[in-house]
Amino acid sequence: MATEYATPEEYGLADLMCCAAAREVQDNEVVFAGTGLPMVAIMLAQKTHAPNLKLIFEAGTLDGRPPEIPTSVGDARCEMGASRSSGLYDAFSIAQRGYVDLGFLGGAEVDEYGNVNTTCIGDYLNPELRLTGSGGNPDINSFAKRTVFIMVHEKRRFTPNVSYITSPGWRVKKWPGGEFVHRRELYGAAYRGGPSAVISTAGVFRFNELSGKIYLDTCHPGKTPAEIKEMCFFDLDISRVNGETLPPSREELYIIHEVLDPEQIFVPKVKKG
Amino acid sequence: MSNDKRISLQQAAEIIKDGSSLTFSGFTIWRRPMAIVYELIRQHRKNLHLIEVQGGSHTEFLIGAGCVDIWESCWVGHELYGKYGANLSRKVADKQIIVEDYSHAEMMFRFAAAASGAPYAVTQTSLGTDLHNPEYDMLGRAGLRDGKRIAKHKYQFTEDPFFGAGSQVLIPAAKVDIAVMCVQQVGEEGTVRVNGQYYSDPEVARAADITIVMAEEIVPEEYLRRNADQNTIVSFEVDHILECPFGAHPTGMFGRYDVDGPFLKDFYGRTRTQEGFDDFAREWIHGQDHMSYLEKLGWPRMLKLRANTALNYSVRDKGGK
Repeated sequence: MATEYATPEEYGLADLMCCAAAREVQDNEVVFAGTGLPMVAIMLAQKTHAPNLKLIFEAGTLDGRPPEIPTSVGDARCEMGASRSSGLYDAFSIAQRGYVDLGFLGGAEVDEYGNVNTTCIGDYLNPELRLTGSGGNPDINSFAKRTVFIMVHEKRRFTPNVSYITSPGWRVKKWPGGEFVHRRELYGAAYRGGPSAVISTAGVFRFNELSGKIYLDTCHPGKTPAEIKEMCFFDLDISRVNGETLPPSREELYIIHEVLDPEQIFVPKVKKG
Repeated sequence: MSNDKRISLQQAAEIIKDGSSLTFSGFTIWRRPMAIVYELIRQHRKNLHLIEVQGGSHTEFLIGAGCVDIWESCWVGHELYGKYGANLSRKVADKQIIVEDYSHAEMMFRFAAAASGAPYAVTQTSLGTDLHNPEYDMLGRAGLRDGKRIAKHKYQFTEDPFFGAGSQVLIPAAKVDIAVMCVQQVGEEGTVRVNGQYYSDPEVARAADITIVMAEEIVPEEYLRRNADQNTIVSFEVDHILECPFGAHPTGMFGRYDVDGPFLKDFYGRTRTQEGFDDFAREWIHGQDHMSYLEKLGWPRMLKLRANTALNYSVRDKGGK
């Protein structure tokens, strides 16, 4: 049966981002997801094309099969149907051991090498705004084979210099000097990969295999490559654009709104006019 | 001294002295020892050093109330009920608090090291990030790294001497005076049974010099010992126990009650300013005790949060909706 895609008036940006993120998952992968849209995306994948994915929540749920979306990773809903429910030491040890294929994360700022900031805006020693801090963002990003970031797209957030590198991209700082080196150099035997995509409210971005530099892969419907380039403070590579981001299917929308998040805790429903 | 480990809520807070280092049970907005946190605020505790695997709503209450000088952790916020820690942000901007940032796994491994009596842990997480920027060693900048309770260095870097696996980060054990826990059940002798994800509770209880356990219920020790494989924390790791129903509110407790989302949203919305925090504390903390607090919340609210015993979460309330 051919997939029935929704028309633009039937879905919102959050739906589109969730579906784009879900499509990054392959069946049988071990996936580590944080609270919010990442959680909806991964459970959408679990209920569509990746029924055998293994879901890890940082607070201590291993291979979870929650029937509905948890409100956060500490939620009692996380561990329904799990292989094991324990704690953070297990979750992070499993990640460091190399079991994790894919991590889903968020971020406040990203640079052109996929370094992400969730710590502060402005100088760390005199911040304009202190944010939540790292949480498990750098840990999942250090240990997973691929990571996908889901972010709000504002020009100030797509910057050549993030205020603070919370989570490691493809070119990272080598301490004590702080000179930039390729991530492979630093991680040695623990090198498994790095950021593979950024899904923003404007489009889907990927990273050049050699240079580690970000490029625009698909534009969300209604956006042009030139517009998205204008929405970044760094010089965005738009030479490899691969058309538009696929819209959500009707089935995906049904699962998001009727099965996973009927209370609209993370994904608002589009009001039909 | 008697073997009786029972203490009152007031006594639990009195054990925690000005200047103590503290850590907690739970995860972000789940199973935080809120009743003791409120009591610490009522008793005007000062100069605390929080060392936590990750922060949450309890952190924001203590910081807003001016109880905390140093916060050493990786994350603070109220999950979907408040996107960052507004009290921490305000005090960081005003330089009223020292923040020492580590990553989440680093904090976890630091507690695991302390819990096994090791001076440090080794990991490869967060290489190449500003977490390892030597300029951002805030306890070092403040001249507090005495090598006693606070490690001489924030990090040390080394190469794997055994298998040639490359750069390694050494992170100091999290040496902490007191762990304040909030759990479902504790036995009369201190055995703890946590239901649901136990987060980092076994490690933080073992790492701390003194462990205080506040439980929804104190149960016969013999009941817990019938199924020792289901217990989480060993009796002799626990120094003091107390029973305090709904002691985690407004945070949630697996199998007992959900997070009170509207309460946390209200707290987050109202405590962006110090005046707002003080006003909130006057309404909900000062001049109250735990029973009057519960009375003020009221039965309908608590029943809405009460977990379904088959599912372990509330079916009347989700995310405050």
